[in-house]
Amino acid sequence: MPQAKKGRLNYRCPSCFMREIDIDMFYDETKKEYYCLRCCYHGTEEEVLKLNEMAKFRYKDINKRVVSFGKDNEPLVLTDHKKGEK
Amino acid sequence: MSQFVVNIIHRIELSPEYSQKTTQQGEKDDISSSALTQESVEIFKTQQDLAHANGLKTTIQITYAALFSDECVKLVKDYHDKYGDEIALSLLGLPCQQFRNKYQTKDFCIWMFSEKDKRSIIDDVFSLFKKKFGFYPESTGSYFLDAYTINYIKEKYPSVIAAVATCFEEGPKAYHTTNNSWYTFLDGGPWAPWIPSKINSHCPAMSKDDDSGIVAIPHLSRDVMACFDGNGSNFGTHPQNVLRGMIYEDEEIPYLYNLIDEYRHLEKYNDGLAYNMMFVGPGWMNKAGRWEVPYSFLLKSYRDAMEYYGKLKKEGQLQDLTMAEFARLYRQKKTYGQPECALWKDILYGSQKQYFWYIDPYMRTCLDFNQGGAMIDLRPYVARLPWKVGIGTDHVFDASYPYLIQANYRAGYFTHYAGEGTVKSLKVSYKGEEVDLCLCRTMATYSKVGEDTLVTADPVTVELKGLKVDIRSSFLFKKGQSEIIIKREILNDLHGEEVSFEEYLTGAFGTTEYQSDMSAITLQVKGKSLQKSIRFAYKNRRILLEDATSVSAKIPEIGTLVEMTSDEPLEGYVDEGYAFSPCYRLAYKKKMTKGALITCLKLKKVA
Repeated sequence: MPQAKKGRLNYRCPSCFMREIDIDMFYDETKKEYYCLRCCYHGTEEEVLKLNEMAKFRYKDINKRVVSFGKDNEPLVLTDHKKGEK
Repeated sequence: MSQFVVNIIHRIELSPEYSQKTTQQGEKDDISSSALTQESVEIFKTQQDLAHANGLKTTIQITYAALFSDECVKLVKDYHDKYGDEIALSLLGLPCQQFRNKYQTKDFCIWMFSEKDKRSIIDDVFSLFKKKFGFYPESTGSYFLDAYTINYIKEKYPSVIAAVATCFEEGPKAYHTTNNSWYTFLDGGPWAPWIPSKINSHCPAMSKDDDSGIVAIPHLSRDVMACFDGNGSNFGTHPQNVLRGMIYEDEEIPYLYNLIDEYRHLEKYNDGLAYNMMFVGPGWMNKAGRWEVPYSFLLKSYRDAMEYYGKLKKEGQLQDLTMAEFARLYRQKKTYGQPECALWKDILYGSQKQYFWYIDPYMRTCLDFNQGGAMIDLRPYVARLPWKVGIGTDHVFDASYPYLIQANYRAGYFTHYAGEGTVKSLKVSYKGEEVDLCLCRTMATYSKVGEDTLVTADPVTVELKGLKVDIRSSFLFKKGQSEIIIKREILNDLHGEEVSFEEYLTGAFGTTEYQSDMSAITLQVKGKSLQKSIRFAYKNRRILLEDATSVSAKIPEIGTLVEMTSDEPLEGYVDEGYAFSPCYRLAYKKKMTKGALITCLKLKKVA
């Protein structure tokens, strides 16, 4: 096979991202897949995109806006973020 | 009246970091590629246009490479004339052919050069700036500026009054995130503006004599919880950092607005002054896209950020200043010894976790109220370590200020098979059962007691053998005294039952996850008439006195004595660690049916 190249965008390894390592993957034209040099992960662009979405599981307030920080010892007051609003 | 200030900084550079390696895959390094330099200037212009379109003033930090370009110099002058943007000088962006020809190196971080090269580079860059603009700058900066560099700049170029001088909690975590390639070991510094000490730039100055003469600002305003817990490069007032962290849905970044808002909220704890800094180098917005997203989203995210700042300005809730303007304001508003505080709530993970960060000229520390107020970070600024960095020193790249406690690097509340972790907390025991307040999730309230800072945790209840004990912890930070008074108070009637409180600090020292040799440490316990001490030898010994008033560890490597004292003589002891668990442990124990256990944590400088 010819040498691998970076893909259309710098897709990072989703498996390494989950353990807080940013490492760009390379694209294997023969197998039509991205693969990681750091670990054994490999997958199609579609799978990488799906796993990247999954990696957001920990950000439970990813789509929330803080309405009020409230009293010091009280939880935040949050609302759903509306697209386009600041 | 509260005031929220933002510094928006743009760097005009010709060889942007990140761009070169990511956009030109398969090509050899060429830092003078015309396509790259032209793209970089175009991105800078886009950033400037977005700021101005939203009515925001910027500070332009011109790089060494850009100073050789007449086009860049003219552009910067034009922006200054038209919008009042400050013309400043960055010590980032050194790489260019002229630099490499002269210094014969690919090094680019000013703090890592030898002292001789630091002087030479600074003189080169400043004199070229003067030649092009006819004056010396008021502001400069880098990812980090060590005390030597700041002192040299201030001595030779006294016009400088402001500098970007650290990245909050960028150290081993950033190194790991980049697959162990990014050598910015800068942990242990401030998250908000400060006046750096002449001796160690991490430490806020104690006095006029200790004042380096500049106001320092951090590189970005970072989420002081997410950056402590995880990768610092994902959680700051830098839209593309937020994209790097994949903190977006449908190309929307509400987390960034929440982060800006939480910084605004910090005025409550800092005498009405809140601060934000945004600084995105052109490489982060390169046309080929970055962090899995296309250029269009990189651009949108920056536009969104500027629009939000612009909206706040229109509402009268934000003041856009240049770096030099901010430095003058800061000097008016702040006095030496005034602490900086951040009672910080999680705005991303939905956890209701809360940290309290505190910094003054004597210490930096963090309390975690998700762990009952446990101390999870402690840096002894009182020692003012003359920690030289750069080639030819003992710390070529490690500029971090050492910790005594760092719960994430050094285990914290211990959950593993054998050993101990660095943390300060309270253990409560009764009839053979024991619980650590690290397992009691709570929240806290900030207040002032005179000039001192009081943080009071909401009471927690521990249950031992059916006995419920309500406990309130409070932490009084004594201004200018390098002391925290810690009170653990029983709030309910135990009907004569006796519980045992053990206030402890498990400590170590270092700048990374790995412990260096501890053999020079002296452990000591002092009582009313006796004192015992041992030299650390990894033998797991304990020294104890029934009437102790001081337990301490003296750590010559970092010039620090960490001590816990008690006005009331108590059973006090110090445990020596062992090879598998290289820590020391200071503790007091008190049997109680009611009342409070009061101890004082003190940090002292020792030779």
